[in-house]
Amino acid sequence: MPAVIVRGLVKSYGPLRAVDRVSFEVDAGEVFALLGPNGAGKTTTIEILEGFRNRDAGEVRVLGIDPGDRGSGRRLRSQLGVVLQELAVEPFLSVRQVLERNAGYYPAPRRVGEVIELIGLAEKADAKVKTLSGGQQRRLDVGLGIVGNPALLFLDEPTTGLDPAGRRTSWELVRRLAGEGTTVILTTHYMEEAEALADQVAIIASGKIVAHGPPASLGGRDRGAATIRFQLPDDVTPADLPLAVDGDGRSVELRTDRELEALYELTKWALEHEVRVTGLTVSRYTLEDVYLQLTGADADRFQSDPALKAPIRG
Amino acid sequence: MSTRGESTRELRSALSELRLVVRQVGYEQLSFWLNPVGAIFTVGFSLLFLVMLGASAGSSRISYMHNIRLVQYYVPGFIAYGVMSASFNNLAISLVIRRETGLLKRLRLSPLPTWTLLTSILLSTLLIAFAQVVLMLAVGRWAFGVQLPSGASDIVALVVVLALGGLSFAALGSAMSTLIPNQQAAGPLTSTVFFVLLFLSGLWFPLKSGSTLAKISTFFPIRHFITAVLTAFEHPGDSAWAGHDLLIVVIWGAVGAAIALRRFQWAPQHT
Ligand SMILES: Nc1ncnc2c1ncn2[C@@H]1O[C@H](COP(=O)(O)OP(=O)(O)O)[C@@H](O)[C@H]1O
Ligand SMILES: [Mg+2]
Repeated sequence: MPAVIVRGLVKSYGPLRAVDRVSFEVDAGEVFALLGPNGAGKTTTIEILEGFRNRDAGEVRVLGIDPGDRGSGRRLRSQLGVVLQELAVEPFLSVRQVLERNAGYYPAPRRVGEVIELIGLAEKADAKVKTLSGGQQRRLDVGLGIVGNPALLFLDEPTTGLDPAGRRTSWELVRRLAGEGTTVILTTHYMEEAEALADQVAIIASGKIVAHGPPASLGGRDRGAATIRFQLPDDVTPADLPLAVDGDGRSVELRTDRELEALYELTKWALEHEVRVTGLTVSRYTLEDVYLQLTGADADRFQSDPALKAPIRG
Repeated sequence: MSTRGESTRELRSALSELRLVVRQVGYEQLSFWLNPVGAIFTVGFSLLFLVMLGASAGSSRISYMHNIRLVQYYVPGFIAYGVMSASFNNLAISLVIRRETGLLKRLRLSPLPTWTLLTSILLSTLLIAFAQVVLMLAVGRWAFGVQLPSGASDIVALVVVLALGGLSFAALGSAMSTLIPNQQAAGPLTSTVFFVLLFLSGLWFPLKSGSTLAKISTFFPIRHFITAVLTAFEHPGDSAWAGHDLLIVVIWGAVGAAIALRRFQWAPQHT
């Protein structure tokens, strides 16, 4: 059974549809990333899954429980770990005290010492929270998310505002938790983060999921839409080529979803006719291209390209 | 058989929730006292007031009040003040800060039951009020020679009045917190409301009956609370209970609770 099932989720704030018929599933043990720009509806979506917000429509199951059902709230929350987008830690308690306090809320918590190790705050264990740097407080925040030994961990933009080293540490932690079998749902607006951590990525923009799949094939970028570029010598024109290409003069390119065949024809022709083709490259969309085009201003053009239609799962 | 098993289980879960409350109150107190500057000023402010006013004007007598010494009025007056400042002023500000810094939201998302959390905050607030009361009773008795309630019925009256007053003003403080848009506004707004009402209610001097201020003050709960506390101390011949005043305080408290429950927000408002 999937850890999370979301079908046709809708949430409006007044006239604004912040979440618009969102559907996805997250399998147990999977790392799932909700990737999208600010205001896309990521936080709203996961706060509904956490049972913090009510939904307007749609079906949601989290660990088999409907988070909208108040009666099962405590049973659900004792299996969830939550790290909010915004830092929230008591200033005057020490790291250990805060973790010990929260550990007592859960039926089967992790050992506090182990959590302190995991978040790399061993030296700061007895320091007051307010004396920690922003990055250290963020790590404590993550520690509070995992101290209950959750089956499902929500991380809302866990690395926003961290320096590169802090981000690496957080990534390691997520990988380690995932390795232990924790299901993780994280939101981010960093493509690299989704690519580095997630088994499944859903790109969300203006409340709608516009692409969904494993990061390697997101937006169909593993299929088709490869671009082959090369330069021709002066005495050869594009018209002499065995393939239709774009470009005038020496620099040409061609878009194809059958790059192997195209390369074979091109190189065969070049060798047979002893044409010196130079600067040959094959490239395809990076996740960043996909992301920017799906969420950015030229989203319409991109989505109308059938070669790039996103495979929507679920 | 099964019903007995069920009731044992219910009892056990009730006990474990009670233990959670005690534990949470412990952490609330720890968090409060680990900020010693904040804690000392919170607890000591009312005492400081009492000592300053008591030392400067305490021995003059109030002609329109059985000719008692002024300090005999100040002790119950500032005990009432201490309870109100802890449960109205400090609670309102602390709730806004917790809400706006995401602490309430975070706890709401933990398995700690909501009632446990709110009860713990309330109990912790009352404990801090209680600390002030004890301090002022001691200073009133030993430094100013004030007559404290001594008979069992007077002591019961004092405790009940302070507890009901503390709860009522805590309800009003919670209601106040829902009317405050952000953290920066919390201190100034709450203190302004509190001190204006204190002025209108004549905390610093007993009000002469029939004066304009006395008339205004009958509307708000502060004067009634002070009167209820004072009555437990000073009641030549009569009962230690100011039932009418206490009732008005509790009615205000009920209104506060209704507003708080309707408007309570867990998430930061950032407005
Ligand atoms: N409590 C709220 N009241 C009104 N509008 C809100 C509220 N929370 C979020 N929004 C709006 O809903 C949209 C989605 O917000 P959010 O879910 O926070 O997006 P994200 O987390 O992807 O940045 C935004 O336009 C935001 O301004
Ligand atoms: Mg967000």
